[in-house]
Amino acid sequence: MAKTTSAHLDANGLVKYFKDEFKTKIKSAEVIKRIGGSNKREHVNIWMTIDKSIFKNYIKHLCDYQFPHLAVVSGNDYPKEIELIYHFSLDFGKDRKEISLNTSVFLPKSKPEIETICDYIPGALITEREKQEMLGIKVIGIPDDRRLFLPEDFPEGVYPWRKDEKGMEKLIRNLHEVKK
Amino acid sequence: MAKGLTKAFKKALWVYHCNSGSCNGCDIEIVAALCPRYDVERFGIKLVGTPRHADVLLITGPVTRQLEKKVKRVYDQMPDPKVVICVGNCGNTGDVFYESYNLVGPVDNIIPVDVHVIGCPPRPEAIIHAVAKAWTKLETLEGK
Amino acid sequence: MANQTTKTTYQLPIGPIHPALKEPVMFEFEIDGEKIIDAEVKLGHVHRAIEWTGMRRNPIQIIYLAERICGICSFVHPFAFCRAVENACDIDVPERAHYIRMFHGELERICSHMLWAGVAAHEIGFDTVLFLTWEMREKALDLTEYLTGNRVTKAIMTIGGIRRDIKPEQIPKIKETLQYLKDNFEKLRHVYLDDKTFKMRSQGVGVLTKEDALKLCAVGPTTRASGIKKDTRIDQPYAAYGDIDMEYQTPDILGGDINGDVYDRIIVRLLEVKQSIDIMEQALSNMPEGDLVSEPKIPKLLAYIKKTKGQGIGRDEAPRGEVIHYVKFDGEHENPYTWKVRASTYNNILPWIPMLIGEQIADIPIVAASTDPCMSCTNRVAIADNKNSKSYMLNKEELHKLSVAKTRRLMR
Repeated sequence: MAKTTSAHLDANGLVKYFKDEFKTKIKSAEVIKRIGGSNKREHVNIWMTIDKSIFKNYIKHLCDYQFPHLAVVSGNDYPKEIELIYHFSLDFGKDRKEISLNTSVFLPKSKPEIETICDYIPGALITEREKQEMLGIKVIGIPDDRRLFLPEDFPEGVYPWRKDEKGMEKLIRNLHEVKK
Repeated sequence: MAKGLTKAFKKALWVYHCNSGSCNGCDIEIVAALCPRYDVERFGIKLVGTPRHADVLLITGPVTRQLEKKVKRVYDQMPDPKVVICVGNCGNTGDVFYESYNLVGPVDNIIPVDVHVIGCPPRPEAIIHAVAKAWTKLETLEGK
Repeated sequence: MANQTTKTTYQLPIGPIHPALKEPVMFEFEIDGEKIIDAEVKLGHVHRAIEWTGMRRNPIQIIYLAERICGICSFVHPFAFCRAVENACDIDVPERAHYIRMFHGELERICSHMLWAGVAAHEIGFDTVLFLTWEMREKALDLTEYLTGNRVTKAIMTIGGIRRDIKPEQIPKIKETLQYLKDNFEKLRHVYLDDKTFKMRSQGVGVLTKEDALKLCAVGPTTRASGIKKDTRIDQPYAAYGDIDMEYQTPDILGGDINGDVYDRIIVRLLEVKQSIDIMEQALSNMPEGDLVSEPKIPKLLAYIKKTKGQGIGRDEAPRGEVIHYVKFDGEHENPYTWKVRASTYNNILPWIPMLIGEQIADIPIVAASTDPCMSCTNRVAIADNKNSKSYMLNKEELHKLSVAKTRRLMR
């Protein structure tokens, strides 16, 4: 592990930490606060969009600050591109001061590839495998390439979460149908 | 008890439970039927660990594609006479999962079912009532 | 004379229909004698395509679909989904609804931990303890039925609040049940933590170190038993948890070291039952008056959601760990554009591998059950590798018998 920042940053400080390093490659960053309960205590969400080229360095920069907890990777399917959102959380363990960091990356459909983060965060293996089989992206350097949830005889090239021609329309079964 | 049962029970039923992709609600109610509150063990009904010893098969869940062949195999491994009880709405009609790419349809399409128990999940009393009905059916089957 | 025998390891596939858990999951172990060298897990037998189905229904229908993801955590998934929709569309929730949601969440946690305690005792071989614990659980289920109408799938969640109120005439029964649970907690603690055989079967078994738990992103009591302080209720003040005094429950509260083995996980879950009873009492005494839902008319709510564009995440602490839902609306339809569910056992699968390596076959049921896996939440699949040539099958009954036989051996 390279240098670790010893100062503890709050939400705006964290945004500035990334913007200082990557400058214009960070496309947008938004800090949203929500409240709960009678005492109206707030918790903080940061939504950031970054460019695909700095993705691996961004993860390394994040791990240098503090080892995050990766909750899940979710994905959106648009007509011409695929968006992947990595949901991290930082500062767990300190009473009510956790920060949720959500980072989104856009991949063009002509070349839907992204690097793996399993060498920094080994716990990301299962969620990356799921994205490979559900959205049809390719994760470069993933240690384990097999299918996770879909059965072995599921046809290749069909991705359940896609809304375009590679979707699922032919395989749906309606259980309420009565066979005559 | 259900009509048609003789006064002296000739045999105690041994039950095998098979989960074919359910959410576990029905499975928890099946195990709760064995606990001291409902206590179905006083009739001699017990859960066994292999289908080769069982008289009754309790199936829960809508059948997923991966488990279709395995459910058929479990059914074939059971010795005659046997009774199949389908517990819960998922196995009977599909319930909320009526449209999906990985489900192969109600349990009826795969193995013949004798008693249907509806509910999401059905109460333990309904499951015990179903086993009593299955008992009656087994006795008539054996009588033949 | 050359020695014709070579030392090889055996491949042992177990599952998907097997005795250790009530759900289909497949394991494959590589064993040398009785010790496990490598383990692999295959998932997917419970894959019902829920997220795909959810994208075709409106948010109110998705609440009932989310309830049936898992029967044991059937309050947590609708809770997290409603939080995600409320965050995406900026819908407010009245204060009284926050408190009642928290109350039902904790009641479900008590029922789930007692269920787990019974299953763990059954795996070790103490069937009497299974019946004892589940009898106590029946009292908590009676309270659930009294307040909501059903034992398992409760259907009291809605977007913007909650559907059923806790009336003043129901409070005496709640207090009576809580008192019963408090009185019997000491009995439960004595059976699990002071018994010699429980200690022998569970101490030093299935160890997950602190570094492994951090790197593999484990959640829930599995990671708290290894010493990491991670609890969504305390990290993020959602619902009314911001008003309650709470602490991270780690095994050193009872004194002693933190080892990360099965015994520590039992300690953490029992401590959480005690904490839940305490939270429920605090919620009852501080509950404010007010509305139950911010928008009672459903067509109006759906019309509002149809016009809103936004994305949001909702997190909650299930009895097994952290649950996260992600929802995105595109402003033109009322169906969500994307819905992603990640249940807690998803993250707890990878820690199985360091926990199982080096253990004996008879310990597989108790180690697997100690992380409290819920396969239907994850649509698990067990995978096994076939590296060497030999393999043999163990069926369900034999595996459970091995586990019980080991207990009898230790008791002599």
